[in-house]
Amino acid sequence: MTNNGTRWALLGVTAATAVGVGRAVARRRHRHQPERQDGWYVVRRGVTVDRSRDEVIGFWTDRERLDRALAGWATLQQLDERRWRCVARDRAGGETQWRAEITVEGAGTLTWRVEDGPMPQLGRIELAEAPQGRGTEIRAELRYRSGPVRRLAGLVGGDEPDLALRDALRRVKALIECGQVVDTREDPSGRSPAQEKATDNMREKLMTGGRA
Amino acid sequence: MRALCWEGVGKLTVRDVPEPQIRAEGDIIVRVRASSVCGSDLHLINGYLPAMRKGDILGHEFMGEVMETGPGVRRHRVGDRVVVGSVVACGGCWYCRTEQYSLCDNSNPQPVFTEKLWGHSPAGILGYSHAAGGYSGSHAEYIRVPFGDIGAFAVPDGVPDDSVVFASDAMPTGWMAADFCGLSGGEVVAVWGAGGVGQMAARSAQLLGAERVIMIDRFPDRLKTATERIGVETINYAETDVLEALRELTAGRGPDACIEAVGMESHDVGPTYAYDRVKQAARLQTDRPTSVRQAIMACRKGGTVSIVGVYAGLVDKFPLGAAMNKALVLRMGQMHAQRYIPMLLDRLAAGEIDPGYLATHPLSLEQGAQGYELFEKKEDGCLRSVLHP
Repeated sequence: MTNNGTRWALLGVTAATAVGVGRAVARRRHRHQPERQDGWYVVRRGVTVDRSRDEVIGFWTDRERLDRALAGWATLQQLDERRWRCVARDRAGGETQWRAEITVEGAGTLTWRVEDGPMPQLGRIELAEAPQGRGTEIRAELRYRSGPVRRLAGLVGGDEPDLALRDALRRVKALIECGQVVDTREDPSGRSPAQEKATDNMREKLMTGGRA
Repeated sequence: MRALCWEGVGKLTVRDVPEPQIRAEGDIIVRVRASSVCGSDLHLINGYLPAMRKGDILGHEFMGEVMETGPGVRRHRVGDRVVVGSVVACGGCWYCRTEQYSLCDNSNPQPVFTEKLWGHSPAGILGYSHAAGGYSGSHAEYIRVPFGDIGAFAVPDGVPDDSVVFASDAMPTGWMAADFCGLSGGEVVAVWGAGGVGQMAARSAQLLGAERVIMIDRFPDRLKTATERIGVETINYAETDVLEALRELTAGRGPDACIEAVGMESHDVGPTYAYDRVKQAARLQTDRPTSVRQAIMACRKGGTVSIVGVYAGLVDKFPLGAAMNKALVLRMGQMHAQRYIPMLLDRLAAGEIDPGYLATHPLSLEQGAQGYELFEKKEDGCLRSVLHP
């Protein structure tokens, strides 16, 4: 039979464990939160492309190649010297569009500002030579306005600017290095349509975000 | 087309599935003529490697005939007889440029899982779960091969399908295992696992200069085959204490290099093995590192341990102290197929390596499940089942 002493001891251990786990989770969550500055979320992401800086710049400035690379993913339309209209498409046929003001601030540096899209954004990209002949580092800083609930919903749904930035950097790297973004969604399988749909949902989660 | 699909842990079924299509400029479609079962498939079938989905098509070691090429393909034409490296490599990233193809940055379209599990995502692999990109495998009549100019190689005339199929995986894996050992001539090399990869590693070590090769396994027929075909010494670990035997065979020094070609489901006798089985079954560790432990303990001071058996995650009781204090070199990895295949095809054509004897059980695709059962249970002297869709 359990006596009162044992009960209190168990209660104490349980409480101490709960507090410890709670603090660990809170600390971990805090470490994974983006920086906040003046009401903006600020994230910095980078990717290394195994090409010279001129070749990376060439990818952006060769309009025909850029359009070919973006085909099926997004279209770009230049509205005037600085303003661009971008329409991004998802596989379900949905479209998101926004207008961005892009400013080239010198060789290898550009900034952009989105004010009429789904979420206000400020961005900056710098190109730097990677060490040991490893090509070019694309360093991106993105500032966006969001709230904790909206951000959490975006993370769960895979529709969040930080995830999109990481996807975009990885896509850009792949397009410059090997001319395509590989995709296995249409590969054959023995799945029923419902199973294939569930698998595609899992694929989306394994494709979205990541380290870049 | 017909394809052998994974239907859940331990379950395989042949199904009618759609034929693959060209999806990118560099794709080729290959009609599969021979597709081997591989020890790492067993980890997938048995649920030890994560991210398998019901309906996935297995198979990554294969050869066949080019049926269709994308507009960007330059090196291959329809009708070419080719062998394809199981690792997918883009050919354009830093890792591919430096011939570390299995670390390709761009060939795994689903990198998030492995980035979380391993810190970074290595290359995609055909027919090897959604952790390796979700590519359809080669146990089918046709397969799409991305980056065909990089991953497919024309096969020399006169080399039979059931030999050349092993140039896809077992041969380059074995060669890389021996290459890792940094042999300069006269060394003693011990190889754990007398399966296809282990035997190719043993033969490769001989070709790279090893004076003696000692193979360790528990199946007498495999050890006998290795002795007859390659001329190695053998230790049956079910009958002999491996560490003591290796010390005696090397007059106390230990092997100069130890190759581990077993992987995460390695077997042993005794209480440590029982402990590993329980921990793995309870998912408290993902892999059983029995043979890695032995390799580290057996290796001579300052020697090299080369690991090409497949591991997925976490292991327990890893003898890091032995590795550190004996100043061992530990090298490991999935093979860089595209680096080694051209050289290995030359050696195949010259008769320096002949892996055809590994194909003990040529079977039809419909017999695929039976082929895996024979292979897993090592029944009927099965070294490898090779499916002919």
